[in-house]
Amino acid sequence: MTTTPLPPAPEGMLNVYVDGRLVHVRKGATVMDACKAAEQEVPHFCYHKRLSVAGNCRMCMVEIEGFPKPVASCHWPAAEGMKVRTDSETATTARKGTMEFLLINHPLDCPICDQGGECTLQDLSVAYGGDRSHFHEGKRAVDDKDIGAKIKTVMTRCIHCTRCIRFATEIAGVQEMGATGRGEAMQVGTYVESALTSELAGNMIDLCPVGALTNRPFAYTARPWELVGTDTIDVLDAVGGHIRLDARAGKVMRAVPRECDAINEEWMTDAARFSTDALSSNRLTAPQLRKGRGKGKLENTGWAEAFAAIKEAVRGVRKTRLAGLMDNLHSAEDGYAFRAFMQDALGSDNVDSRMAGNLVDSKSHAAGICNTPFKRWDDADAVLLVGCNPRLEAPLLNIRLRRVVKKGAPVFVVGEVADLTYPVTHLGDTAKELETLLDGKTAAAKALAKAERPLIVVGGAVLARPDGRAIVRAAGELAEKVAMTDSWNGFNVLHDTCGRITALDMAVHPAHGGMATAEILENWRENHVDVLFLYGDCDLTPADLAGGRGTLVYIGTHATPLAAMADVVLPAAAWSEKEGLFANAEGRVQATRAAVPPPLSAKEDWKIFRALSEQVGDKLPFDTLAQLRAAIAEFCPAYAPEAIGTILPAPWQGVGKKGKLTAKPLASSVGAYYLRTAHHRESAWMKTMQAEVAPVQEEAA
Amino acid sequence: MTKKLPKLKLEDKCFPNLDGAGDWGIKGYQKRGGYKGLKKLLQTAPAEHIDKLKKSALRGRGGAGFSTGMKWSFMPKPEQSGKPHYLVCNADEGEPGTCKDRDILRNDPHTLVEGMIVGCYTLGAKAGYIYVRGEYYDESSRLNQAIREAYDAGFLGKNIQGTGVDVDVYVHLGAGAYICGEETALLESLEGKKGQPRLKPPFPAGFGLYGCPTTINNVETIAQVPPVLKHPLDWWTRWGRENNHGTKIFSISGSVNNPCNVEAPMSIPLRELIDEYAGGVIGGWDNLQAIIPGGSSTPILTKELAEQAIMDFDGLKPLGSSLGTAAVVVMNKDVDVLRVMTRIAAFYKHESCGQCTPCREGVGWVYRLMHRLAEGKGTADELDQLYAITKKIEGRTICAFADGAMWPVQGTLRHFRELFEEKLRDGK
Ligand code: SF4
Ligand code: FES
Repeated sequence: MTTTPLPPAPEGMLNVYVDGRLVHVRKGATVMDACKAAEQEVPHFCYHKRLSVAGNCRMCMVEIEGFPKPVASCHWPAAEGMKVRTDSETATTARKGTMEFLLINHPLDCPICDQGGECTLQDLSVAYGGDRSHFHEGKRAVDDKDIGAKIKTVMTRCIHCTRCIRFATEIAGVQEMGATGRGEAMQVGTYVESALTSELAGNMIDLCPVGALTNRPFAYTARPWELVGTDTIDVLDAVGGHIRLDARAGKVMRAVPRECDAINEEWMTDAARFSTDALSSNRLTAPQLRKGRGKGKLENTGWAEAFAAIKEAVRGVRKTRLAGLMDNLHSAEDGYAFRAFMQDALGSDNVDSRMAGNLVDSKSHAAGICNTPFKRWDDADAVLLVGCNPRLEAPLLNIRLRRVVKKGAPVFVVGEVADLTYPVTHLGDTAKELETLLDGKTAAAKALAKAERPLIVVGGAVLARPDGRAIVRAAGELAEKVAMTDSWNGFNVLHDTCGRITALDMAVHPAHGGMATAEILENWRENHVDVLFLYGDCDLTPADLAGGRGTLVYIGTHATPLAAMADVVLPAAAWSEKEGLFANAEGRVQATRAAVPPPLSAKEDWKIFRALSEQVGDKLPFDTLAQLRAAIAEFCPAYAPEAIGTILPAPWQGVGKKGKLTAKPLASSVGAYYLRTAHHRESAWMKTMQAEVAPVQEEAA
Repeated sequence: MTKKLPKLKLEDKCFPNLDGAGDWGIKGYQKRGGYKGLKKLLQTAPAEHIDKLKKSALRGRGGAGFSTGMKWSFMPKPEQSGKPHYLVCNADEGEPGTCKDRDILRNDPHTLVEGMIVGCYTLGAKAGYIYVRGEYYDESSRLNQAIREAYDAGFLGKNIQGTGVDVDVYVHLGAGAYICGEETALLESLEGKKGQPRLKPPFPAGFGLYGCPTTINNVETIAQVPPVLKHPLDWWTRWGRENNHGTKIFSISGSVNNPCNVEAPMSIPLRELIDEYAGGVIGGWDNLQAIIPGGSSTPILTKELAEQAIMDFDGLKPLGSSLGTAAVVVMNKDVDVLRVMTRIAAFYKHESCGQCTPCREGVGWVYRLMHRLAEGKGTADELDQLYAITKKIEGRTICAFADGAMWPVQGTLRHFRELFEEKLRDGK
């Protein structure tokens, strides 16, 4: 006991001694926080910084001077002058006791458990487990639960920490996981056995500290220590969450999230996690050429032959009869090189990356992004969704919306209503409701006007409507009226993928009177286009191209039905196989890294366009990635090395174009969540998962 | 033997109709003096009530023995909290051996209703909930009838007796989990969730039912508040020793000639209680083997200890046990103590909520080991191990359930270890 009085702690802070070391923690902090501040790791299972505190595992116990019993540090409030011991006899014995209890009924099946090597119980038992058992009774066995295609359960391993339950209830917003039964008969599961319907369910795998919940598609395919991890970005939706791709022998085995507070916190969508099988199935691995145009079969060939065929096809064709379409999964390098290839090498301005019907251009950067950084979504005090289903379009952002709803923010919906995991007020199906809101007379309009930080989110599908620009204009005006202050811009457009936004930044759209997507397709079908470069599937079906007799050049990653229609096929690298820059919806540019090389003869995309340019026209002026990136940075400063990872200010210049709002109901850009992009449609797991929820969605409709 | 305590006369009792001889309804209750003086209680400042309760040394009858006046003083003032306040009555009587609240609900339900009215008023609550154990279905319907009668007579509802006090009382039936008798598990259950104790702090007085200031008390405690407040202080304090005053219902069961619920003065010697009220031990006092003095979770007493036992909160502590719910379970020499104690261990295994590790995993282990040892299968080392396991559970859990489950085991090992050893010798 020190007798000298403690020096007063800084304002709002407390003096706490941890193992004799004085630390300051804010008032309201827990004893565990204090231990962390003192760099004393406290072992724990149930505690998780992003979930509510359950205090049920009893692993985090410490001794506090003057307390008769050891205390669970994860929930005990720190107090002024408190003396905590993390290493005392009392603390250690308590933890050893807990560990013993956890192990008596836990199977010793680590050698066949997928969690082995990355299991908290395994790790902590090294420090706190005994080397022999005193337990001579029968061990408990628990039935495994079938909770769907995503998660494999081995419930005998469950240590009842309730992290999965808390995640499902608090973060994912689905009341599907829970505990039934009492005492040692308590079982964790879905009450009535059924597949989880959350788009975030996979996170329970990461949260589960033991091998009770493991990645089902990944089951028994690799041990964690065999995997080589590559830190990269999830480009499959517009959020751009941080992920790690784990590969073994040139094959991506699984994807897991990385922590990034500003973007994905530490969560990952199921569409990203469980679609990695697409990266190694049905791939284009060599250039292909159709011998005897139109009739013959596609056959593997060499790059030189394929290039020669393209050179032949474009020779003498009028530039207005050449066209190119690009998919929504491409990096800045891909997009820049493709546009340069079309415009500079071939001299054609018929190039587009937007959905058919979308005429919104990239003149104003602020018009195409979320002007409210994701982290600040947490501060919103009212939300208006326009033709947007954030649960399916950006599940990671829906987490933030749930959070503000819990704090009391109302959510208004213009467009179709769906179960967003929180209550909403449906204002109407059509964009006409925006006019009513602009009038400012209804209760919803008043609520938005009264809110200090309203968030207006326009879904990506809105842009592709004939009245798209008018809707964006109306939403923008509303934002100008109620959602813009010096420190807040509440106008947000939520595109479907990072690639879509990146392509706009790279100006992959007709700038000088060229044809846009819908026009290109129409002219192709009517044979006014002689050579069409199809860079990815572009959300098209064979019917969209039916009737065209020109030369179809397909540059892509998978042997899709569209690739099968092509006359020349060039195999490119998937997003996991190249270094790329991608902007996310908030305009933050991030770099992906190659986890594995492209398969066999496939090549990085920009190299293809660079090499081809030399054959068919003017050689593109970059020979290395560095040169290309320099060109990109000059073209769009947000992509300069020093800007990577940050959000550059986007000056507001108004959005859209005045026009008539039609009575056509607004719909979300995502129908089938698990099949949302061409990448997902190549995944067998995604198909299974979509089939699993399809009946649920029909029921809701 | 010292002088015997006098038996309580009707006017000395808080529960004059505990035996059910009279009318349980409102007429009978009023004839016995019920609701008389209620109006005055509702016109007296709550602080005065709390002060008097503190002086009376009325301590929680549910087992913990915490001063009621103190507990009530922890509630914030309604104007400070800005939230509704609640009084919740814990009628989830589940402790094996205990059946006192049942007789209150059955034979004198208006004592509880009046207690709820006074309690709600004192605590600034406009609503009170009575959480009745699911098995007490008949009792709950009687309680509901009593509440109906009280509404009809103007003792419940808006502006009671013209005092401007509003109180509504609701009855909620549990679903049979012992743990819902733990006050915060009770709140969870009342809120419609799985009955599992909450982490404390925060305590219910600040963050209770629906996150509002809440006080939870046992049936007997709440029902004793009006008599304590209505009578002069010494009506109550003449019974029992310092800080243990008043009268108390004792549930006496087991090897006695006349098992009963009886209201008697506090601090009564255990032997006197059994001899005077329960017709003595079957086969005579010398045939006594052991006594559980306060419900299944209080450690067992040997005959020698039982002879010294004074039945109040402070009297049993030096003997390594406690008053608990004052449910006295008597075992004479015909009883297989190990079987009884193993059965009690089985009960706790069955009733653990399963939330926290030591209890979920440990209580079942203790039961199985004890069961095996009680059958003579095992080693003397395992007796020590059994004790060691109870020590790894006690004091390491979220709520006091596990402590209550371990104390009887520890008590058995302390006083009846030789019974185990005998079995182990026989088992060989
Ligand atoms: S399944 Fe895993 S996360 Fe869920 S309670 Fe069991 S151990 Fe915890
Ligand atoms: S981490 Fe504190 S009890 Fe589980």
